Amino acid sequence: MNWSATIRTVLLCGILILLHYTLRPLLAWRASADFLIIALLLASVRVRPGVAALFGFILGLASDSVALGAFGAGALAMTLIGFGWSRLKAVFFADHVLLNGFFLFLGKWAYEILMNLVERRLHGAELLMQILVWSSLSAAVTAVAGVIALMLLRPVLETRAA
Amino acid sequence: MARTGRISSRTDVVLFAVCVFLSLLAMVLPLRLREPVASALRRSLVAPLLQLQEGSERWRAAYLSSQREELKRDTLALAAARVPTLENENDRLRKLLGLGSALKWGFIPAEALQGRGRAEDFTITLSAGANAGVRERSLVVAPEGIVGLVQTVDPTLSLAILFAHPDFRVSAMSADGSAFGIVQPHVTGTGAQRDPAFLRSERYLLEMRGVPFRATLKPGAVVYSSGLGGIYPKGIPVGVVMGEIKTTEAWARTYILRPAVNPAELSAVMILTPQRAAAGLTNVWAGVGAVDSATRSIVLAGDSLARQAAAAEAAARRAALDSAARLLRDSLGRDTSAAAAAVPAPVTPARPAPTPDSAAAARARARRDSIQRERARADSLARQIPGAPATPRPTTTPEPVR
Repeated sequence: MNWSATIRTVLLCGILILLHYTLRPLLAWRASADFLIIALLLASVRVRPGVAALFGFILGLASDSVALGAFGAGALAMTLIGFGWSRLKAVFFADHVLLNGFFLFLGKWAYEILMNLVERRLHGAELLMQILVWSSLSAAVTAVAGVIALMLLRPVLETRAA
Repeated sequence: MARTGRISSRTDVVLFAVCVFLSLLAMVLPLRLREPVASALRRSLVAPLLQLQEGSERWRAAYLSSQREELKRDTLALAAARVPTLENENDRLRKLLGLGSALKWGFIPAEALQGRGRAEDFTITLSAGANAGVRERSLVVAPEGIVGLVQTVDPTLSLAILFAHPDFRVSAMSADGSAFGIVQPHVTGTGAQRDPAFLRSERYLLEMRGVPFRATLKPGAVVYSSGLGGIYPKGIPVGVVMGEIKTTEAWARTYILRPAVNPAELSAVMILTPQRAAAGLTNVWAGVGAVDSATRSIVLAGDSLARQAAAAEAAARRAALDSAARLLRDSLGRDTSAAAAAVPAPVTPARPAPTPDSAAAARARARRDSIQRERARADSLARQIPGAPATPRPTTTPEPVR
């Protein structure tokens, strides 16, 4: 990845992180979009797996710092997702809007499942309800928001032909 | 090349393993060690983001607050819009209470349910039936006067014809008993001469027919039921005379009446039992008016007290202003009296007291005198201040005495 692409990726991630801390509280939906996950997934397919894992770790730790109950859980989940996604980019990567949306859905859902399992706050039917209803709903909203963000930020992401 | 790739891959795995290890370490850290790390992160890396989040939360709170304010305003506006309706209803219910206390016994209160169909123009459904003691041909009245007659009685409901029903007839008389006649609905469109154009739009009008030619009724006169005929007792207001209309009956007069009760505003009525109707209703409606006016006066008493207080305050303020003005006038008078003393006062001829027939002459004299006084004052001021320009004399000349 050259410098230009690196700067674009950093810019994109910065915008998404800003959206996470501005738009999300403004909407205040129960199943809200997770722009940190969108940033992580979009960055993961553009960097090496180790960098993606590090980026996920930092993002997760930052979000965990305001949620003391599960300090480290978010970092672990995001590290796994970042590394895994970066590894799998060769298999699944395709520049198609719907496919990107599907990946975003899967990524967010996997993150939610991991978080719920690691946190060990919910059990039994409650955990099932959370994973199947609210987590999937949140994943769907995240996917939609991610697709919209991708479409809006396409000029930033496009690489110039050499 | 392949070696470089292997090294990179190994670096990635190591990095990943370190991150996972650190994450797990963060999870298992005891709270006293975990908190300083989280706090350091909150104060450094996450601090600007948290400020952004706080700003967004504040925006959202302001937006929700404005929405709540708007909702409150709308609620208040809605409540204010309902006030006239509630006042009207209150007024009607108060009147009905007055009627109830005047009747004392033998009445059944009922809700008047008005149909909106064409066939239901002349009937109303009453929410009381045989179970409540309503009988056929029971009289239906309102605080304003006569409403109609019960025709059909069910256990819980009854149907009554209004005074606008074509079959409605009541013997009526003027308040002083000088004119009698039969009141019936005014059916428009039956004849051009008895159907003035201005009445076409009026529904529910009544006409009082068969009034002897020698008896005349003035517009605004109230017409009561006369008690003749046996159904309607004496003394129930039927309507108010609007004017006389010409008919082919040369030996009797016909008057158009505005009914005492407006059916469109009918909501609650009283059904009189046959025993109560037979006992007579004389002076009941006068009593209703008295009770109603008494209630109104009690309600208005508070207002009048407030008005009195306001009037007293205004009077005190006026008195203070008057005294201040008087003081100012006196001080000015003292300043000019010295100047006026230097000039001999104009001799005012003795005048006889004005008589009513010479009022105009007296007014003219008074005006002439005041002009002379003004001239004398101007001259004296000019003499006292030599450098001062002389005040121009008024050019007004007294009007000749007519």
